[in-house]
Amino acid sequence: MRAARTVFPGSPGLAGLRLAEALGLGSRRGRWLWAMGICLAVFAAVPVLAWLLGDAGLEPDLLARNQPPSLGHLFGTDSLGRDMLSRTVHGLVLSLRVGLLAAAASSVLALVLGVASASLGRAADGVVSWLVDIFMTVPHMVLLILISFAVGGGARGVVIAVALTHWPALTRVIRAEVLQLRGALYVQTARRFGQGPLAVAATHMLPHLLPQFLIGLILLFPHAILHEAALSFLGVGLSPHTPAVGILLAESMRHLSTGYWWLGILPGAALLALVKCFDILGYNLDRLLDPKTSQE
Amino acid sequence: MDRQGRTWMRKAAWALCAAFVLAAVAAGADALAKDKPAELVLAVGGENVEGYDPLVGWGQYGHPLFQSTLLKRDANLNIVNDLAESAVLSPDGLVWTVTIRKDAKFSDGAPLSAEDVAFTFKKAAEAAGKTDVTALKEAVVTGPYSVELRLKEPQITFIGHLVTLGIVPKHAYGEGYGRNPIGSGPYKLASWTEGQQMVIEANPLYYGKKPDFTRVVFLFTGEDTSFAAAQAGKVHVVSVPSSLAKQQVPGMVLHPVKSVDNRGLMFPMVPDTGEKTPTGFPIGNNVTSDPAIRKAVNYAMDRKALVEGVLEGFGSPAYGVVDNLPWEETTARFTDNDPAKAKEILAAAGWKPGSDGILEKNGVKAEFTIVYNAKDSLRQNLALAVSGMLRKVGISAVPKGTSWDEIKKNLTHSNVVVYGFGDHNPLEMYKLYHSRGDLNIYNAGLYKNPVVDANLDKAMAAPSFEASIPFWKAAQWDGTTGFAVPGDAAWAWLVNLDHTYFIDENLDVGVSQMEPHGHGWPITANIAEWTWKK
Repeated sequence: MRAARTVFPGSPGLAGLRLAEALGLGSRRGRWLWAMGICLAVFAAVPVLAWLLGDAGLEPDLLARNQPPSLGHLFGTDSLGRDMLSRTVHGLVLSLRVGLLAAAASSVLALVLGVASASLGRAADGVVSWLVDIFMTVPHMVLLILISFAVGGGARGVVIAVALTHWPALTRVIRAEVLQLRGALYVQTARRFGQGPLAVAATHMLPHLLPQFLIGLILLFPHAILHEAALSFLGVGLSPHTPAVGILLAESMRHLSTGYWWLGILPGAALLALVKCFDILGYNLDRLLDPKTSQE
Repeated sequence: MDRQGRTWMRKAAWALCAAFVLAAVAAGADALAKDKPAELVLAVGGENVEGYDPLVGWGQYGHPLFQSTLLKRDANLNIVNDLAESAVLSPDGLVWTVTIRKDAKFSDGAPLSAEDVAFTFKKAAEAAGKTDVTALKEAVVTGPYSVELRLKEPQITFIGHLVTLGIVPKHAYGEGYGRNPIGSGPYKLASWTEGQQMVIEANPLYYGKKPDFTRVVFLFTGEDTSFAAAQAGKVHVVSVPSSLAKQQVPGMVLHPVKSVDNRGLMFPMVPDTGEKTPTGFPIGNNVTSDPAIRKAVNYAMDRKALVEGVLEGFGSPAYGVVDNLPWEETTARFTDNDPAKAKEILAAAGWKPGSDGILEKNGVKAEFTIVYNAKDSLRQNLALAVSGMLRKVGISAVPKGTSWDEIKKNLTHSNVVVYGFGDHNPLEMYKLYHSRGDLNIYNAGLYKNPVVDANLDKAMAAPSFEASIPFWKAAQWDGTTGFAVPGDAAWAWLVNLDHTYFIDENLDVGVSQMEPHGHGWPITANIAEWTWKK
């Protein structure tokens, strides 16, 4: 590491290096923390920006139709003169909300089922494994569409559909982890002292599962958000004027041949950036929580 | 290399360049003077999932193509004979005596006789449905080529059925006819792959002018796909939404057609008293049942801005349901884009601004939902634009997009709905505004005004169409009441559309008639007269 810190002419110089050191950028751990901080700031910025922009940009302005990006409208305007930046930001808020609700519900479901299947005996394990297999064999998108239609569509339908379909993978991870923990000395000792299976799970296993759970939760977000976009792209029961990223992208399809590139590319890029932030957050958190890499 | 050699090389290079340019020009010229295609390809919609059976409604808007009708409308909308040699209404308005031509044959070779005409009308009367020939009492064959259509009561608009109802063969009509229609029109169905395409071929037995194109393919693709196909030069006629009409398509020219196709807001007219339809759906709306609200909506809107902004200029403001037709009552026209007048009307009726700027009256907020068909981007844009305009006068109109199924089942009697209508015949106006009108489709808002009913009935009972016109006008506005905006303002009509098509520059589609509701199919009304320019 030391060798890399030689100061070359034209490089930030010693003062810059000191600043970097002071900010904690010198170590990988510091850089991870910074990356995570920036990601969190992005997530916080989305609702704040939506609040700042307000609903004004969502109203049609028939005099400002189909304008390319400019200082007044950073993302341009659509065929009704609605500000695409406002629509995109409001869409991302919906994405975040759906992502948060669905990922939280899905991961709690995964935790409960994973722990239950590994600690409540063979019958419970059989049932949970069977459920996981069923959900994993049905194509994801089909299941999403079916569930969201079955519960009546709309934003609620999207949340429920995404929540009910994203738990199986994490359930497997947690189940495997619990199975491994069951053999651990301290768990067996607790058993011998007469603690019941649920008490053991709650007091001795859960703290151990927390890192996996947290990382699983965060890595569920991008999935949930992309599936929200996919569902709203197909328009399952959402009013087509609702600002949702999927709806914006579906609308932009109509304009592929007309040269209004900003209608699709900018909201798409914004969605991509948001999803990538979750990815970076999850990846860095994983390395930070992993004892093998956490002190680098 | 010596100098001569170099000169020679240069000359050769120039010659080669010239040859390339010539070849390119020749190829270009070739592309410009395209030969008449073996088959004409149209992407104008027109797929009727119920099949091409006139008795269940095929051809109601436009013309049936496979079948022919007793009368038809020419490019100027004048009614002229088609199958009929004469069609005369008795002075009491109860009997149509029709004599048909003797040389008409169905595409299967069987002659078309008075029996078939009587059969068609009888069956259509039994079927009710979209054709609505229910005024027919009986259809009596009085000779091999003459038939009498006797009505239960005078109905001046009955002539509309003579214009739109395609005659079906008595000997070949039955289950599955809609999938395999046999008729006496200029074309016959060759094949139909549902959801994809339909191929039609000229009917060699057609009695009229033989069409120039013997084979026509209809592609059933979505708006975007159709437009992409047009840009790739794969179709000869494509209907496009007005939002795409400003684009350039190589080798094609824009062909805008005036229409009586309109879009408007239907208001629920009765208050919500918790009453339900027999099928259990809510009725009435406490905001729109107030005439002040309905009038204010009409005055507040800027229809010209809607035409420019939503229709890209391809249309005109709509002030009533029958704008520019001979039976429009022009004194009922009004000046819109007048928020001050709208506010005045609302204030006079007791609506006062609430804390959030939305008006209130006796604890009721001036708020309603504008429901639109989620698949229709035009209606969506109209709903959104209108909502923005109404907010300025303190009315909160919340757009909501959903499926037709949901609208017709659940929402149509209690919410403002964006509908589209437009017909060459005032029968539609009767159905929209007569309290007897079909409550499921036409008079979903349960509009009822005894004076309007009486005027509409008088128009129906008039001895001739000319004599009926004053009554059609009086129903709209007779100086004291009517369904138009100065009266009850039962609807807020928004725009009349121009239907926009791109047409191959070598194709001559003649003069298109002013089209009814339905963008796409109606352009084929004169397809037998289309020619290829050389």
